[in-house]
Amino acid sequence: MTTATTTPPRTQTTEERAHRNRKMRSRLFMAFLFVAAIIWIIPMVWMFSLSLTPNNILQLDTTNLLPQSPTLENFSDVISVGLTPRWFLNSMIVTGVTTLFTLILSAMAGYAFARIDFKGKKLAYPLVLAGLMVPKEAMFVPLFLMFAEVEQHNTFHALALPRIAAPLGVFIMTQFFTAIPNEVEEAARVDGATRWKTFTTVMLPMAAPALTALAIFTFVLTWNDFLWPLVSATQREMFTITTGLASLQGNFAQATELGALMARGVVASLPLLILFVIFQRQLIRGISIGSGGKG
Amino acid sequence: MTATVERTSPEVTPSAFRRWTASDSFSAWAFLIPFLVIYLLFLLYPVVQAVIMGFFDWDFLDISDRTFIGLENYGRMFWGTNMTWDATHIWQWRILGLLGVPLIIRAKRRGSITRTAMIALVVGLIAVFAIAMGVHPGVDGRWYDSQFWGSFGNTLLFTVMSTPAIVGLGLALAIALNRPGRLVGFLRTLFFAPYVLSVAVLTLIWAFLLNPTTGLIGAAFESVGLEPINWLNNTTWAMPAIVVTTLWWTVGFNLVLFLAGLQDIDKSQYEAADIDGANGWEKFQFITVPGLRRTTLLVVTLQIIASFQIFGQVFIMTRGGPNGATRVAIQHIYESGFRDFELGYSSAMSLFLFVVMVGISVLQFKFFPEEG
Repeated sequence: MTTATTTPPRTQTTEERAHRNRKMRSRLFMAFLFVAAIIWIIPMVWMFSLSLTPNNILQLDTTNLLPQSPTLENFSDVISVGLTPRWFLNSMIVTGVTTLFTLILSAMAGYAFARIDFKGKKLAYPLVLAGLMVPKEAMFVPLFLMFAEVEQHNTFHALALPRIAAPLGVFIMTQFFTAIPNEVEEAARVDGATRWKTFTTVMLPMAAPALTALAIFTFVLTWNDFLWPLVSATQREMFTITTGLASLQGNFAQATELGALMARGVVASLPLLILFVIFQRQLIRGISIGSGGKG
Repeated sequence: MTATVERTSPEVTPSAFRRWTASDSFSAWAFLIPFLVIYLLFLLYPVVQAVIMGFFDWDFLDISDRTFIGLENYGRMFWGTNMTWDATHIWQWRILGLLGVPLIIRAKRRGSITRTAMIALVVGLIAVFAIAMGVHPGVDGRWYDSQFWGSFGNTLLFTVMSTPAIVGLGLALAIALNRPGRLVGFLRTLFFAPYVLSVAVLTLIWAFLLNPTTGLIGAAFESVGLEPINWLNNTTWAMPAIVVTTLWWTVGFNLVLFLAGLQDIDKSQYEAADIDGANGWEKFQFITVPGLRRTTLLVVTLQIIASFQIFGQVFIMTRGGPNGATRVAIQHIYESGFRDFELGYSSAMSLFLFVVMVGISVLQFKFFPEEG
């Protein structure tokens, strides 16, 4: 704006320029954010790149973000060498079972707290809420002893049960069912449906969005669980993919197998990355209702 | 889910609806029992079990071998030889703790706690921070378990370093990315993506990334003519490196919570401010900051609680090294139980960590009541 502006049409030009300036600045800011986001994601790109690079090249250079002479040999190594497929399967079983039972038990308990008036509710609900304050990682020693006393370590149920006991799902489902208007259930009741039937045919379908969010959130947390599987599943065959992958990182000098190691990292992340791409919205919703108590 | 949700008992259904059948209580408990059994057994009972175990010398290798030793485990944690008291011992941490006193007084003024509670809390804080924490081993003395203080101190250090960084960056990103558009949505996805990685994948990437010979950071240093630093093997840099690793991993979580908080702020407030000619900083100061109050407190509390439980990153990347510089509370608890085979002592320490963390959540609930 170097020229003096006095006449009306010229004023308009300055306004347009100011507008263009603002637009320009906004574009610059977006470009900056874009670069920042790309830098942010580099470590993950690097893992993918290394996993696709032959190990003999990695012995010379590990700093390429695009794989040099890409190969899948690292991934065939994942399948043929070591226990990674077994750990992957273990994680699938434990995570699947945990998620399924968390959904069923949380929905049932949440329904009872939200929709039924019964003796003992004033005691039971605060008792469940109190559990929200028990930090997940603090009580692994007594839990370990309980399973050791009945010799149940290195089993799938030992891995899953403490996770299912989490009260967060009940809290979320209680809040959800409380918000459903009475008329919905009233209609089913007038038709003579039992509680159980109303729950399964009317309430559960309505709860699908909340259940999806809870499912994704539970799946991510369980898949990534580390401390409890570390103490409970001590036989190599019973490792989860998370503890198994951690056990492979013990000796660091193995840069010779860096590609194979990174391929295992990719395999361990793949289910969650796929879920994330498909259900990003639900996961994010799970996080905000799960931690903020809002949706 | 559009209903606003509070941490209160769910509403009771209206009276006409109260009796579905004669056996309502029965059906309620039928719905509840499966969860309650698992919950009581695997979440609440372990707390009781930890209390019991804390009084015993309990052998990991033969769990039927246990001896009642009263408070000896706690003595071992909190006491040593030639104990003495100093007003200035670790004064930085103690002043930090005493900053709670004005918070308590403010809470009383706003009516969120009673007078008795205020007095009890102030006396408690002074007793712990001004008096008890001045006790330490004198000349020729030592703690019975110096690693207990070292590792809990490192957890605290990690919490103090990481919380402002992760919360601050999460907030900044949320404000920058709080606009419509496909590109912005894509950028949000990129910033959030590391959150879905497991801790073992995180450490796999970052241990090699930070490695001076194989990593990208070392390569970047070399390209500008600097000597690469062996971050994880350096007592000064190991903890900051763990903080940066954790920041990269979890900032997306806070970003999501802050974005949700920002979207709850009434847009008309910004429009009104625009009409009044407010600039960006003023809008941030007078609309965004107050509007995010509840979210910020939530994020900070969650962040502190998560930080107190730090374990996986350090355990896999540094094993607590170099020279104990990154050894954290949970690692000490884990190794006392599962390497030194002392389940009783390790339970007593879990219980201490538990009490500290529950204390923090309770304080948050009490002192920062959720407003509007």
